[in-house]
Amino acid sequence: MDNMDAKQSALAIVAGLKKAGIDFVATLPDEKMLEVIRTVEKDSGLRHIPLCREEEGVGICAGAYLAGRKTALILQNAGFLNSCNAVTTTSLQFQIPTLLLIYFAGDIGDRGFTTLGAVTEPVLQALGIRSYVLRKTEEIDEILVGAQILAEDSKRPVAVLLTKSLLGVK
Amino acid sequence: MQRYAYLKAIADDTGNALAVCTGWSAREWWAVRPSDGNLKTRTLGLVSSIAAGLAFALPHRKVIAIDGDGAFLMNLCGLPTIALQRPPNLIHLLFDNEVYEASGGTATASHIADAVSLAKGAGYPHACWVSTAEEFRAEFLQAWQSDRLSLIAVKVEPGQPKDLPPLALDELENKYTFMRYLERTEKKGILSPGFDSKS
Repeated sequence: MDNMDAKQSALAIVAGLKKAGIDFVATLPDEKMLEVIRTVEKDSGLRHIPLCREEEGVGICAGAYLAGRKTALILQNAGFLNSCNAVTTTSLQFQIPTLLLIYFAGDIGDRGFTTLGAVTEPVLQALGIRSYVLRKTEEIDEILVGAQILAEDSKRPVAVLLTKSLLGVK
Repeated sequence: MQRYAYLKAIADDTGNALAVCTGWSAREWWAVRPSDGNLKTRTLGLVSSIAAGLAFALPHRKVIAIDGDGAFLMNLCGLPTIALQRPPNLIHLLFDNEVYEASGGTATASHIADAVSLAKGAGYPHACWVSTAEEFRAEFLQAWQSDRLSLIAVKVEPGQPKDLPPLALDELENKYTFMRYLERTEKKGILSPGFDSKS
């Protein structure tokens, strides 16, 4: 996939993360976030930890936070569901802020992941994790910077759901 | 021999290393090495990942993960993630008693699943079994001095000494004590000073 829109969006998202102060990012790929993850990997100002399963990323980000890093976890909503116990018994129980950048599979206009799309926001809500849907590139900085302030202030994870339109992918 | 004897064998060698515990081992570790640099985790399996996050963030500081077989088997996916980064400052200790000790004592699969093979297969540069407290201490010191990601595994009998003091530990207090300790020893601010500190 070589998509200029996707590259531009990825650059803007990673720039937004850095404006938010993020310096440590754990990721598990989704095809839709390929460019975002490539951009994270290339950025010398971000420590990138590629994961094998999402819940270990919750632990890695928690450890890095305790030592003073500002952390984000980039994953798909299926992966977020995988990590719910870790989010509950580590992030929420120990009050650890972690920015969750979640690709919103099954969002309006998407095919194949309707069940996943339907449960994503209710699960976040049930966990008491505030979430914001990010659809437009012009809102990237405001939402990422704001979400990180909220995460640090509330000492909880905050979720930003990234849509296809934002990511510039089909 | 029980886990306690092995923990006791290395306690005096751990300096200002950070130690992350899971399950019943926490009470034993606090008894042999009381320190604000000790952290007890909650999520079964995540002890190695939380320790790894600390090790990635503080590459100049030794970090010890005190893992058990139930937690280790639950987080096998975490092994290649750690191996990929090869944190030289992480020492991964595995106490294999072949049961879920903190969850009632039913058997784990560790009597057939060989932890050292799993760690080596995942890419750990060094992993070994030991069977005495002397070997355990020697391997621990070797891991410390060689700056090489290591898993040191030992088969232990379940159980712990009956006379250990109970762990009076609120987990949020543990978190804050641990973070303040890191602020002091790393000489940097970590926690946000908070809304009330604004001028």
